Amino acid sequence: MSAVILAADDIQVAQNIGFGIIAAIMVIGALKVVTSKNVVHAALSLVLVLSGAAAQYILLGAEFVAVSQILVYVGAVMVLFLFGVMLTRAKLGKETDLDQPKAWLGVPVALLMLGVLAWVLIDGFQDERLPADATSKAAVEISDSVLGPALVPFLALTFVLVAAVIGGIVLARKD
Amino acid sequence: MIASLLAAAGDWVAPTLDYHALAPEIILAAGIFAVLSIDLFLEPEQRWITSALSGFVMLGALVTVGTLAVIGDDTRSMFGGRYVSDEYALILKALFLVAGYIVVLMSSDEIERGRYHQGEYYVLLLTSVLGMVMMASSRDLLSIFVALELLSIPAYMLAAWNKRNSRGNEAGVKYYLLGVFASAITLYGMSLLYGVTGTTLLTDLGSAITANGRFSGVEVIAVAFIVVGFAFKISAVPFHQWAPDVYEGAPTPITAFLSVASKAAGFVALVTLTFVAFPNAEDVYQPFMWVLAALSMTIGNLYALRQTNIVRMLAYSSVSQGGFILMPLTVAGVDGVGESALKAVVVYLVVYAATNLGAFAVVIAVARKTRSGEISSYGGLFGYAPALGVLMTIFLASLAGIPPLGGWFAKFGAFKAVLDADTGWGYSIAIIAAINTVISAAYYITVMREIWMKDEPTGDTTPIRTPPSLGAALVITCGATIVLGVLPDIVGRFGDITDLTGALGR
Repeated sequence: MSAVILAADDIQVAQNIGFGIIAAIMVIGALKVVTSKNVVHAALSLVLVLSGAAAQYILLGAEFVAVSQILVYVGAVMVLFLFGVMLTRAKLGKETDLDQPKAWLGVPVALLMLGVLAWVLIDGFQDERLPADATSKAAVEISDSVLGPALVPFLALTFVLVAAVIGGIVLARKD
Repeated sequence: MIASLLAAAGDWVAPTLDYHALAPEIILAAGIFAVLSIDLFLEPEQRWITSALSGFVMLGALVTVGTLAVIGDDTRSMFGGRYVSDEYALILKALFLVAGYIVVLMSSDEIERGRYHQGEYYVLLLTSVLGMVMMASSRDLLSIFVALELLSIPAYMLAAWNKRNSRGNEAGVKYYLLGVFASAITLYGMSLLYGVTGTTLLTDLGSAITANGRFSGVEVIAVAFIVVGFAFKISAVPFHQWAPDVYEGAPTPITAFLSVASKAAGFVALVTLTFVAFPNAEDVYQPFMWVLAALSMTIGNLYALRQTNIVRMLAYSSVSQGGFILMPLTVAGVDGVGESALKAVVVYLVVYAATNLGAFAVVIAVARKTRSGEISSYGGLFGYAPALGVLMTIFLASLAGIPPLGGWFAKFGAFKAVLDADTGWGYSIAIIAAINTVISAAYYITVMREIWMKDEPTGDTTPIRTPPSLGAALVITCGATIVLGVLPDIVGRFGDITDLTGALGR
């Protein structure tokens, strides 16, 4: 039923509302990451941003990317991050020396980048939209290309991981 | 459920692999695991075996590069043109493998003396070389990015190999953070490019960019981001700040590796992208390259003049040399000049690799005795180590571009390319380069004066004992520097214009 309505309606209201809500949450989370005085709070706000990105991928019909985003960023990277905080700092809680004195220099740079990128993206894609009947076969296509045209980079990634593990152990071990 | 999915997606066909074309990569990959597993069973005093084995792996891969050049088709294309083994790729693969071999020769004694983790050191070195070899063949954004990571990630850790030294740690962290930042910028540019064109294949990108006759803002930003990301890798000004600190803190053989092989890999990616993916984007990349080249030459030189540490001086000198290598790319899009620009870049990379590796080999040999990196410690070198004194003079003269050494021919090619272009951009960069050639001679000659005119500062004139492997590295690099200058046609033939550009799909 709803599919019929969405197919008939060119604007896809539900998706747009979903996008707006998630985007607002992401922006608030991102601001929290840089303004929070507590490292753990900043890390947890980052979880919000990364999960929001995953939700946006689902709205775009890219469920494989969304699941990888959750697994890799929210799962692995954030756990590593929190472990890093736990293992290296005795003090949890508010800190006063987190801000660089010249941090405000980042504000105009960020605004400039926001302006430029927003302009080029709006200019580049104009009013293109996703096909309303897009059915997702992303996972199938990714597996086909990983074992097809992208075979060499796929195998090369295994060596990236081997090198990272070996080097990480050497640099981290005590001797 | 799965059956229906499989039925829906039945169009997968197994890719055809050309094992001969992939042989260098396969030998390196096998060698990585051979070194890694053999290292487990070695007693501490047998650890030299890993070094010897790594050297043989590089040479074995080099042999297959040779057979590829001689036997069969010149151009072997796989995965629909995503991975290509042509003459351009082969000469650069040979460059990376020889550079890797020389770094192994330079390392064997140095790393053994430092009691570092030798097996792991060579595994990471081989992995990085594997990434570079892959970079030479990549004709797809995905392969280029993965190759970039594969060559960079081991290099980040190798830069921090002096881990008991705070400078070593600083080098590793600085290189890692800035390198990852640059990779992210490159990746963002690539994803924007994929977003507007819908393809990652470079030849398709070449026809898709400006297909409708005008540049969209996304394309401009994407090309700019990609160029900026690789500018970090090649330490072009203003993205060079990491270079001197990293070069100083890393073990000296790794410094040589970073300043030659890693830098060359960045240039290879930039050249491949410029000629295959951005042939219609010259209005965007040419001014960019012009600014990067002019700033790199000038600022690199001005800082190099003020250095008192030989490694930092060579670091800034390599920034400045990078500007010269970028110079031909400022006119790469001018009709009829692209070919000689490409040739100039490739020849410059080969000559620069031989010369700079040689200079670092002398630095290692001298530091074995003096335990110092100061330029003043080279005083009287000719008196007590005449061979090293002469070799260092040859390498520095080649870097300065004095005939008949290799560096002269490389600079000649670069100047010829920009002057042939007959444009304002070309002439202006040529003038800047000419001024910088003169400035650069000043700091190279400062070191020569120490070697020939001054006395040993401490009065200790015991001769320097050079280990055989380091001696071999010196002989190879010196031979290459002289031969490339006297008989430039050797590389000129490899950079044969029509073959190279034909292979690049122009």
